[in-house]
Amino acid sequence: MKLTDSTADMQGRILSVGGDDHFMNRITSIGITEGTAFQTVRNDRKMPVLIYLRETLISLNRADAERIEVEAV
Amino acid sequence: MTGSIALLGQPNSGKSTIYNNLTGARQHVGNWAGKTVEKNEGSFTYNGVKYTVTDLPGSYGLSGNSDEEIITTDFIKSGKSELTVVLVDASQLERSMFMLAEFARLDKPAMLVLNMMDVAKDMGKDIDTDALAKKLGIPVLPFNATDTKDYDKLKKLIAEELKKPHRLSVKAPEGKADVKADSKAKFDWVSEILENVTRTRESVYKMSKFDRVMTRPILGKVICIAVVLLAFMVSMIVMLPFAGVGQMIPTLLHEPVDKLLTGWNVHPWIVNIFSMMIPNTLSFTISMASFVLGVNIVFGFLEETGFIARAAYQFDGLLSKLGLQGKAICPMLMGFGCTIGGACGTRVMDNWGQRMLAMSIVWAIPCASIWSIIPVVSGMFFTWWQTMLVCVGILAYVVVSMIIVSKVFGRKLAPMETRSGMIMELPPYHKAHWKHILKEAFFKAWGIFKRALGTVTLVSLIFYVLSFSRDGNVNNSLLYRVGTTIEPVTKFFGMGWQTFVAFLSGAFAKEAVLGTLNAVFMGGNSVMEAAFFSQGTSTDTALLGTAMSQAVSAAEALAFMFATTFSVPCLMALSTTYKESHSLKWTVKVALFYICNALVLSCIVYHVAELFM
Repeated sequence: MKLTDSTADMQGRILSVGGDDHFMNRITSIGITEGTAFQTVRNDRKMPVLIYLRETLISLNRADAERIEVEAV
Repeated sequence: MTGSIALLGQPNSGKSTIYNNLTGARQHVGNWAGKTVEKNEGSFTYNGVKYTVTDLPGSYGLSGNSDEEIITTDFIKSGKSELTVVLVDASQLERSMFMLAEFARLDKPAMLVLNMMDVAKDMGKDIDTDALAKKLGIPVLPFNATDTKDYDKLKKLIAEELKKPHRLSVKAPEGKADVKADSKAKFDWVSEILENVTRTRESVYKMSKFDRVMTRPILGKVICIAVVLLAFMVSMIVMLPFAGVGQMIPTLLHEPVDKLLTGWNVHPWIVNIFSMMIPNTLSFTISMASFVLGVNIVFGFLEETGFIARAAYQFDGLLSKLGLQGKAICPMLMGFGCTIGGACGTRVMDNWGQRMLAMSIVWAIPCASIWSIIPVVSGMFFTWWQTMLVCVGILAYVVVSMIIVSKVFGRKLAPMETRSGMIMELPPYHKAHWKHILKEAFFKAWGIFKRALGTVTLVSLIFYVLSFSRDGNVNNSLLYRVGTTIEPVTKFFGMGWQTFVAFLSGAFAKEAVLGTLNAVFMGGNSVMEAAFFSQGTSTDTALLGTAMSQAVSAAEALAFMFATTFSVPCLMALSTTYKESHSLKWTVKVALFYICNALVLSCIVYHVAELFM
């Protein structure tokens, strides 16, 4: 599923990240890489998605979160 | 003997705190050659040796092709600094060590500082720093950026390392052509290093109470707006005692200086410079600097606690339409109180381009002084409900104006390719360290005072020369001659010479507008007094209204109000912008744009209004 489809408190893992090199650089340098475990903290309509990953609370806007495939674990 | 070091770290690694505490007041701010990225250089002395410190621009990595990353990589490669101090956040060790993985490929002398050891400890995290140092082959210093004692250890270690520098002995992560694989290699490298150094405990994350409230979609926004408005009020309270003392200067000096110099038969042109212009300029600048002090204290506090990051989360969607980060909401709200506050509030923005763009947009927001003028002027010509309409019209044009500014300047200041949405960390709520906040705020305010005094005095002098008249009658001033000469032109824009002079005085100080109208329509005081003695002159708005409505049509009045509201902010706000951006070129560019925009707007409003009124 897409990260935007995950629900609050879901424990999951990043499956794949898609986008151009610029986007990939930004997203991976903050720690969002394939295989990383994370937790969805908040996912409200029209608001950025909040996830907890590598001991950090990260906010992603919805357009970017749509490009991230995740699975629940 | 001298040495040079550079500080490298991700955003929120505490880099600027360490930089400020190391260098104190010995700082120099500029721009990297040909780039819209701020360059911070400072120095400190330890055991008689002077060390220069370069604060490298913050970024999460070094592989991207943003200006920040290119500048940082080139600087480290150039070897201009003998030692790179790499900062990582001990409480988010794995993620922030990514920067070290990037740095490892450059193979230059380095040492590692593990900042926020106190937070890591509170989280129950153990880090074996000796084991880490052994694995890396460079010294590792556990550190708390807010603990003054730690700085001695840091300076001592820097001094030792410069004599006998170390390079990473561990092999750098293998380079991969594909961005995805390359990042994975770097994080694998980090995991390998951290093995047996620290344990990451898998646990379910629980949001703090603070965050649970602050991230609510509607409540969070309401709180953000309320907090910034409260912050504005607190800044005003901080300003009051200083500004009060500042205002005593002209009151105390005016008469004795005037008497003394007049007694010596000095020309009144010179007398007024010393009895009126200089004391008032000093008083203005003191008020400005003390307000800057207040804003820096409250924003320092809001930034350190993590509030600003939450505001950014709440407003990013809205402000990204203007090319701005969500953080800009704080200076923008501040701008409704005072443009100076808005301009120096842009300190929360991450990079220079964003700061300059935010300042340019904040200029479009009418400050409290404008809101105190408009209803008065409008009331002279219109009924109460028409005045309401005028205010609504102005508010609507604020939005239009912001969009125009972001379209005109956004492309250069915030290039499209850097605008790719928000990917941002929300640092955990921190307790504020007051000593550090106050110290930094005083440094900033004092710096602004020193640097702005010259600019403000110069422009004041120009305005003084224009407005001076020996007998106080406006008709004998240069301003009158210039105003009446170009009246055929200003008439086209909807302003007669009187309203045009008032429009010009608004660029000096918004409070001067009513006094100037009083001077040009009633002769009750001189424009010079209105500008420099605005608190001393009183305006009878009823009488002024009668006089004005005889000389000026309603359409002209409407045009004048729009022109005054959307022209450049006052001189103090302008010079704050100049000092905060360090760019005369951009400040002048944006100022010219605002003046032209105001004139065109005035022209349109005047000619359209004439059709209906």
